[in-house]
Amino acid sequence: MRQVSCSRCKASFPLRSTLSLNEQTYCENCAPTIARESKETGQAAVFTRNIDGSLCALCGTENPSGSDFAFRKKLPFCEKCGPLVERWPYPVWLKLSLAGLVLLLAASLLHGRRYFHAGSEMYRGEGLVKQAKYAEAVPHLTEAVRIAPGSDKAVLLLAKAALKTGDVQTAAKALQGHEEGRFENGQDEDFLEMKALWDRATTAAKKANEAGKLALEGAKDVEAAKLFREAAAEYPESKEMTAAVPYFDEGAAFEQKDYDRFLALAQEVFAKKPNATNAATIASAWACKYAVSGNAHFKNEAEQFLLKAQQMPQSDTEETKQMEEYVPRIRHRIDSRQIITKQEYDKRFRSAEKGKK
Amino acid sequence: MFFIPGIVITVLTFPGVIVHEAGHLFFCRLFGLQVYNVCFFQFKNPAGYVVHENSDNFTAQFFVSMGPFISNTVLCVLFCTAAFLPVWELKIADPLAYFFYWLGISIGMHAFPSTTDLKHLWERAPALAKKGNLLAILSLPLAGILVVLNYGRIVWADLGYGILVGVLGPIAIFKALVR
Repeated sequence: MRQVSCSRCKASFPLRSTLSLNEQTYCENCAPTIARESKETGQAAVFTRNIDGSLCALCGTENPSGSDFAFRKKLPFCEKCGPLVERWPYPVWLKLSLAGLVLLLAASLLHGRRYFHAGSEMYRGEGLVKQAKYAEAVPHLTEAVRIAPGSDKAVLLLAKAALKTGDVQTAAKALQGHEEGRFENGQDEDFLEMKALWDRATTAAKKANEAGKLALEGAKDVEAAKLFREAAAEYPESKEMTAAVPYFDEGAAFEQKDYDRFLALAQEVFAKKPNATNAATIASAWACKYAVSGNAHFKNEAEQFLLKAQQMPQSDTEETKQMEEYVPRIRHRIDSRQIITKQEYDKRFRSAEKGKK
Repeated sequence: MFFIPGIVITVLTFPGVIVHEAGHLFFCRLFGLQVYNVCFFQFKNPAGYVVHENSDNFTAQFFVSMGPFISNTVLCVLFCTAAFLPVWELKIADPLAYFFYWLGISIGMHAFPSTTDLKHLWERAPALAKKGNLLAILSLPLAGILVVLNYGRIVWADLGYGILVGVLGPIAIFKALVR
């Protein structure tokens, strides 16, 4: 270890513990005094640390030969430390940890595939909802909710999109599947919007249900039509409900003996949905007009539409049943020129048939 | 009010410290700077450090100082992206997703460079920025913001940064992908 004397106190010190200023060597004790003095004379004192080339700058090992170690950049390092400072190795545990981190990252991305799918479906659905393309949004949001039924956002979006397209069933299923309809924030704007929609839809459904019951009771078709119109107005998003309004109006027109209106409504409905039942309704309306007027042209129209209705394919067993019930009543109306309600017809002809069986 | 000692948070988020120091070491090696000592984690302040030579090359200095900020931020976004949807949007109780989120936030909250690193940049950047050095121009506002955020560590600015990056990053990615 090389020794030098301090230019100020003249004491001997290891070279590496001393400092240089203006080609003078100072020990660490004297350096602050020198710095203060320089400052007082208005000069900046910038010391540099002296380097003992025979000592390794990192581990402090002395070169056994007494000569300088090889300098790497500005510092001397022993053979062991030289390569270390030039290229400090990554510890094995760090390499393993980083490899593990990369694996974890891959695993996390792989693990999240299902969620990415749900998320992308949700964001797609959200985008479509924002563009008011509710029907297009429903399948995307349904898929998102299938994977994440607990997501407030996905469920609210699906419920909103479904309710906006009149699909109360899908909305109800999504809401019930989500914490039994409970949401984190009851004051959230999206929640309140969905709730308002839901309330309208359920109120409309109740009214429609009541209207249906009234229509079945008989002689309450006017009341039923009024109530159903209210229901359809309450929830105009429901195309099914809007489409069903003319059916209730037909019943009301029949009850009010306004057969011209009955016929006009039946023709309107048939134009939109030409099926056997709707053709039979036109036959029924013509039969009513024939019954009250005796006009052979009306009878002819009634017969033609009845035949047409019977020849038209029936979509399902429900329609077949309806036709089996409806056709004999229309036939009776044409043959007897009597206009009686279904209830009256059943009472006169079908209760006896049932009795026989 | 309750006080949580910083060391407790550091221990709970130790992967971030290791990743940060590994980032420093990586960039030191990349730019051929001498490294004199490395501590990847310890139970005291600072939790980790890399002692290296100062470089006259500003690019090297920039990346050695800011590299961990960039790499920690990127890793935070990646891990949080994998876990963001189940944790925040889909509300799926998936323990693995929460683990990845913890890892992401831990890495993100140790992204900030140390005040010493920033100081070195701050000292050299203005002169180089005047000469049109793009990195110096970029580093001026960045270092300024990070110095302020570093002081904000007292009020958990580092944790706030981790969470912010872990939420906004994935949102930006998903919105861009879905579009």
